[in-house]
Amino acid sequence: MSNFEMLLRGFSVVFTPANIGASILGAILGLIVGAMPGIGSLAGVALLLPLTYKFNPTTAIIMLGALYYSNMYGGSFSAILLNIPGDSPAVMTAVDGYPMAKKKKRPGQALFTANMASCIGGTIGMIILTFAGPALANIGLKFGPSEMTALLLVAMTSISWLVGENPIKGIVATAFGILLASMGMDTLSGSPRYDFGSMHLLGGIPFTPFVIGSVGFAQVINLMNERYVQTEMIDAKLSIRGSLPTKREFLRLIPPSIRSGILGTFVGVLPGAGATTGAFMGYAIQKNFKSDEPLGTGAVEGIAACEAANNAAAAGSFAPLLALGIPGSGTGAVLLGGLMLWGLNPGPLLFQNEPDFAWGLISSLFLSNAITLLIAIAVIPFLTKILAVPTKYMIPIITVVCVVGSYSTTYSMFGVLVMLLSGIVSYFIQKNNYSTAPMLLSFVLAPLLESNMRKAFIISGGSLKIFFTRPISLMFMLIFFTMLLIPLVRSIIGKKKEEKTA
Amino acid sequence: MKNKMMALLAGVLTVSVLFTGCQKSGGNSSSGGTSSGGTSSGEKTTVTKEFKPASTVDWYVASSPGGGSDIFTRMITDIMISEGIVDTNFIVTNKTDGGGEVVRNEVAHMSKGDRANNTLLTFNSGCLMPMVENTKNRSSNFKVIAVMAVDKQLLFKTEHTKYADFNEAIEAAKSGASIVIGGSKGDDVATYEALIQEIGVSADNMKYITYDATSDAITAGLGGHVDFVMSKPAAASEYVEAGSLIPVLALSKERFSGNLADAPTLSEIGDYEDVEVPVWRSVVAPASMSDEAVAFWTDALKKVSETEKWQNDYIAKYKLIPEYMDAATATGYISEFEKNFMASKGIQ
Repeated sequence: MSNFEMLLRGFSVVFTPANIGASILGAILGLIVGAMPGIGSLAGVALLLPLTYKFNPTTAIIMLGALYYSNMYGGSFSAILLNIPGDSPAVMTAVDGYPMAKKKKRPGQALFTANMASCIGGTIGMIILTFAGPALANIGLKFGPSEMTALLLVAMTSISWLVGENPIKGIVATAFGILLASMGMDTLSGSPRYDFGSMHLLGGIPFTPFVIGSVGFAQVINLMNERYVQTEMIDAKLSIRGSLPTKREFLRLIPPSIRSGILGTFVGVLPGAGATTGAFMGYAIQKNFKSDEPLGTGAVEGIAACEAANNAAAAGSFAPLLALGIPGSGTGAVLLGGLMLWGLNPGPLLFQNEPDFAWGLISSLFLSNAITLLIAIAVIPFLTKILAVPTKYMIPIITVVCVVGSYSTTYSMFGVLVMLLSGIVSYFIQKNNYSTAPMLLSFVLAPLLESNMRKAFIISGGSLKIFFTRPISLMFMLIFFTMLLIPLVRSIIGKKKEEKTA
Repeated sequence: MKNKMMALLAGVLTVSVLFTGCQKSGGNSSSGGTSSGGTSSGEKTTVTKEFKPASTVDWYVASSPGGGSDIFTRMITDIMISEGIVDTNFIVTNKTDGGGEVVRNEVAHMSKGDRANNTLLTFNSGCLMPMVENTKNRSSNFKVIAVMAVDKQLLFKTEHTKYADFNEAIEAAKSGASIVIGGSKGDDVATYEALIQEIGVSADNMKYITYDATSDAITAGLGGHVDFVMSKPAAASEYVEAGSLIPVLALSKERFSGNLADAPTLSEIGDYEDVEVPVWRSVVAPASMSDEAVAFWTDALKKVSETEKWQNDYIAKYKLIPEYMDAATATGYISEFEKNFMASKGIQ
């Protein structure tokens, strides 16, 4: 039976009132959980798991799938409205989303763009998952330590697109991110690094409190300085019509969504790289394409590129989980645990042994994508009203959200401390015209790069040959060197032209 | 208008605080079990002579989902609920920060009270080894509840492996080739070290890559990035059935049974002694757990070890050695193990 027929069969499983109800419930809960900083899809899925025990496995996984999926939508809400990413993949959404909502006074349109891009990216991811899931998972397996190292080198160089006007400041911020990421226990030898005798630091700096602090709490400090500035009431009507983007904006969001959709799916399939890496890479690639407005100033393209990529990555991460029993993300890992408790064995045999379940899950992703889009658009008018709250009330409210969010990820005051400190440090970093985006990106990528590079060197016995003798890593190394050389070649050509004209 | 706004925001805040309250833990947490009649997670249980677990019990696992410790934990919680041994909600949380040291330290130093009485941690010899080597945490900082079983490893090859069997790989390593074995932390590393010592090859010719959990090592094996994968039977089970992992060496004094029976022991393939580093799997709790609670949990685990489901679906299926020890026996056993290990490594 072809995959398409299997998908239709999956739909016949999904379209029962109970399953549709489960999907709607999952989508609503996912949006709420996703919009709250610190409580990511992981916790959401974990919270819901016991509730689903009374259901049959298919209904249960449909609900969890919908929750996981709608989370990616919810994460962008607080990123756009408050400049606090609801979950880590939404970090990049804040870069353009917040300026668009605040400076351009088009919050409804920013949210609409994020929702539409999420839907497009997610749909692309699911279509690829349907027709090439197992094949894609096999390609993912081909990415061993040397391939991942080469890919991550390419990703690291793409940070240069995020550094802004001053490259030196960009490099300093990148290096600072790498330094912070190197704290904690060395994954290969198990020896402690920069732990200063603290058991908490042995685990490194926790990512979510770090992000909430350096983006959200730094924002609070900023707001304190402008607390007397009168907030103008935003003249958006409490209607969906008032939140619709213009036709031009709508056309602008489509190309980046499609590009990021394809890229994101692939990133989601790779072992260890999840939606966050997907969103960063989607945004970095968008820097290479034409945008109507410069990225970072509230460009529709910027929002679309990262939102589409993170939703596509969410879909892509199901491929290794379903086809090979390998979780592509933390949430995937919890779902895996759920599958095992229901007596289903995820693994290479899942598609053969439980086709109704596996295809039911895939088709339910399509269904929950559509349901989530409708719900997300319907709540836009209410959400945008948050921006009308005067700054002096927003400061304590955002602070509470930051504290709660960072506490809930570590379940200790250590997370809150990390959040406060990184907020203060980032405030001063930004005050001196350094950008925090390269710091966050290098913080995410550096540990992945380190562990893969060291594994590659163990395999090769310290020889660099391993990066050039395997086809996939060779390809990425060539891209890497091209990216390094292009600016050099450009400046040489530029100088020659100048000489000629002179 | 303003009032409405404030009401909306107050609502959002309340919900967010509530959610945090419900969420008991960070990391990859997932909960299992039936809800016991809508009681809230913060429900207080007074410790009287007869200990009763709270409506939610936290159970920590210091490695990734899908690995051996994870399967062990989920099997126990599943049996406790389905067989009606304990009427509670288990929240199983996989916390791998700092190679698991962070959660081990957290559990060890939990202050006295309801939370300590309702917190359990999966702990095996592979957890103890890096713990005493890299930190000041010791097994005496825990209350040992029970030892449940003893596990052993095997080496597996995949379709990408160049060598037909492990003997061929040994010969290749001896003549200078480089063989790569992938496996988990702790006890797998100890087994690997014992293995290369016995066959007399250097760590440069037979290398070892440490992954966060066996499930990650298997992924690397399936992609052909390591030559052999070291795993205990549970984590490899599905892949052996599907034919993607093929057992080539039993790291045991005798062969395993069932679909792992084809793998010879080391003494069968050459002039070597068998290599066997048994891995005990235990459950521990904070040192501050009350004696009543310890008695309750050690008894609950005894009941689990006596169920047919445990015998068939865990011990027999994953080819472990059943070995239940109650709190007192297990405490002596583990501290003896720790003493010997520290002496062998020269740790004070």
